[in-house]
Amino acid sequence: MKDIHVCRIIGQSEVAPRIVRALLKGPKIAREAQPGQFVNVQVGKTTDPLLRRPFSVHAAYPDEGVYSILYAVRGRGTTLLSEMRPGDELSVIGPLGTPFDLGESSDSRHILVAGGCGAAPLHFLCDALCRKWGCDNVTVLAGAQSKDAVVCEAEFRANGVNVIVSTDDGSHGFHGLATQLLETHLSKCISQTPGSHVRVYSCGPHMMLKQVAQICREAGVARCQVSLETVMACGVGVCLGCVQKVRGDSGTSYKRVCVDGPVFDAEEIVWD
Amino acid sequence: MGLNQTGAQEQQTARRSANLAVKIGKIEMKNPVTVASGTFGFGQEMAEFYDLSRLGAIFVKGTSLHPWPGNEYPRTVETPSGMLNAIGLQNDGVDVFVEEKLPFLRRFDVPVIVNVVGHTVEEYTEVVSRLDGVEGVHGIEINISCPNVKEGCLVFGTTARGTAEVVRAVRKRTNLTLITKLSPNVGNIVEIAQAAIDAGSDALSLINTLLGTAIDPWTRRFRLANKTGGLSGPAIKPVALRMVWEVAKAVDVPIIGMGGIMTALDAIEFLLAGARAVSVGTTNFVNPMAPIEIIDGITDYLHSMDIADVNEIVGTVS
Ligand SMILES: Cc1cc2nc3c(=O)[nH]c(=O)nc-3n(C[C@H](O)[C@H](O)[C@H](O)COP(=O)(O)OP(=O)(O)OC[C@H]3O[C@@H](n4cnc5c(N)ncnc54)[C@H](O)[C@@H]3O)c2cc1C
Ligand SMILES: Cc1cc2nc3c(=O)[nH]c(=O)nc-3n(C[C@H](O)[C@H](O)[C@H](O)COP(=O)(O)O)c2cc1C
Ligand code: FES
Repeated sequence: MKDIHVCRIIGQSEVAPRIVRALLKGPKIAREAQPGQFVNVQVGKTTDPLLRRPFSVHAAYPDEGVYSILYAVRGRGTTLLSEMRPGDELSVIGPLGTPFDLGESSDSRHILVAGGCGAAPLHFLCDALCRKWGCDNVTVLAGAQSKDAVVCEAEFRANGVNVIVSTDDGSHGFHGLATQLLETHLSKCISQTPGSHVRVYSCGPHMMLKQVAQICREAGVARCQVSLETVMACGVGVCLGCVQKVRGDSGTSYKRVCVDGPVFDAEEIVWD
Repeated sequence: MGLNQTGAQEQQTARRSANLAVKIGKIEMKNPVTVASGTFGFGQEMAEFYDLSRLGAIFVKGTSLHPWPGNEYPRTVETPSGMLNAIGLQNDGVDVFVEEKLPFLRRFDVPVIVNVVGHTVEEYTEVVSRLDGVEGVHGIEINISCPNVKEGCLVFGTTARGTAEVVRAVRKRTNLTLITKLSPNVGNIVEIAQAAIDAGSDALSLINTLLGTAIDPWTRRFRLANKTGGLSGPAIKPVALRMVWEVAKAVDVPIIGMGGIMTALDAIEFLLAGARAVSVGTTNFVNPMAPIEIIDGITDYLHSMDIADVNEIVGTVS
């Protein structure tokens, strides 16, 4: 059964300009959430804004009954959310959606490619991969516009994984795009391990994901999974609003990002 | 403590004693609260939140003869107190519905009403023929009011003649309860309602969504791939309520009223305006438990007003 949870805000902090991390009390969500899944949050108390807003689970602490989301303040809904105070209560549905597949083989190398706020679900994923396969096998490539927009770098590093940062303006780390980091890193990686042992996971702007998918295909990696964001009305699979065009045995069709995703195999996506 | 307990007990007794059952054509509903087509899928996802047997009826997603792919993305956009949608009636077709979706719904003690769409009269009648006599199908809702599909559909629903043509043809194929779903995007809704009834419709449901659009000033583009979409949610409630009232005054068949219902008191307004039952639509997206809260809220309302039967208040606005 699914529940509508009342989650108390424990705290909110601005981790970068206009990027907020919210810590929420929610024992069931903290216990059940898997990396890649999201929660659907009611951000207003009135009918405007009417719809819930989806956010990936960014971290879960089952023992404390607490989880976090990391969000960019973009429009009305996220502005309202950012104005809420510790102690305020939120109506939350979740965890929702299909999580990342962490793989079956201990020989795999895992590469996580984050663009901006796309780091949110990858942070949770990184934790899980480290626990399952050990941090030595995990690399995070994190791209951002500039130094102050880099999120989660310290958290990734605290896990002990290999982290490489890029910024569009060169103010921190590599001067360029996360996709360039991926190309370089993949060629190095594949010279040591066969491509069939490399798994890539990505979340970020749609154009970046499209390029990540292409780079992975050309490099022949075992699997590339992407986490998509589409505009959602219901978040639970009943409205058919959130669709992504996918390729199947019988031509193309639309799949629901909220239940069939948000994590998809990159090869399935019809990129436009 | 003692007082609270007595209060809770009284409330429970009242909930049990007030009659909520209503009848739409041949369909007996245990209460007047249903869920609107296209906002509830085929029940599977919402069954994760509560026992579907509690509902008065379920109107499933629009179903066509062959699979329809639906419109391009973006398909939805939020608007003040509402939303626009242009899903384009994506569905897998009637045969997949019967084989893969209906068996799940049969597990529940709740009438299932299938929303039927088509490009031509023949497509409507063929879908209905394939549903007629199928166990677990309790009624047909003829959707001649979807604004998001180029041919058919709304084209029939905007004229009395087109409406009559579809309803008459469908009526010949089935004895199931026939409900015609009316569009608000017409000049004279009463005339269309009358035409549907004369052609054999047992009941009416209204309203479908109101045609609208939204534009992004920064990209100078439409926010929906389809350019226009259907407006739903609390923003449309006053329009829906007025239309239900106008139609209810003019016709004798039962009406299922909908448009922006969020709470029990919203539902009561529709009943007072003349609806025999109500449908919860967009609100399912915001609060999946809303239909259940509305059922309980209607009971509480009847108790507080000392009314024994929900049917007593239908159409009693003055
Ligand atoms: C499965 C999923 C997980 C997500 N996880 C995160 C996350 O972890 N962190 C984060 O910052 N954001 C995440 N998003 C995006 C987030 O939901 C939107 O940024 C948010 O809904 C915007 O709300 P708003 O009211 O502030 O903006 P609005 O005023 O509604 O819109 C502002 C801008 O955001 C765009 N937008 C609106 N809704 C979405 C959406 N669902 N997806 C993408 N763009 C949208 C609009 O087109 C518009 O350009 C996720 C989206 C999905 C579908
Ligand atoms: C996403 C969405 C999909 C819908 N799909 C259908 C449909 O397939 N058939 C139909 O008759 N009405 C459809 N409707 C209309 C609703 O059933 C209802 O008439 C309308 O939304 C008004 O009610 P509301 O304001 O409570 O949502 C749809 C509405 C929405 C929001
Ligand atoms: S948001 Fe409604 S189906 Fe995905």
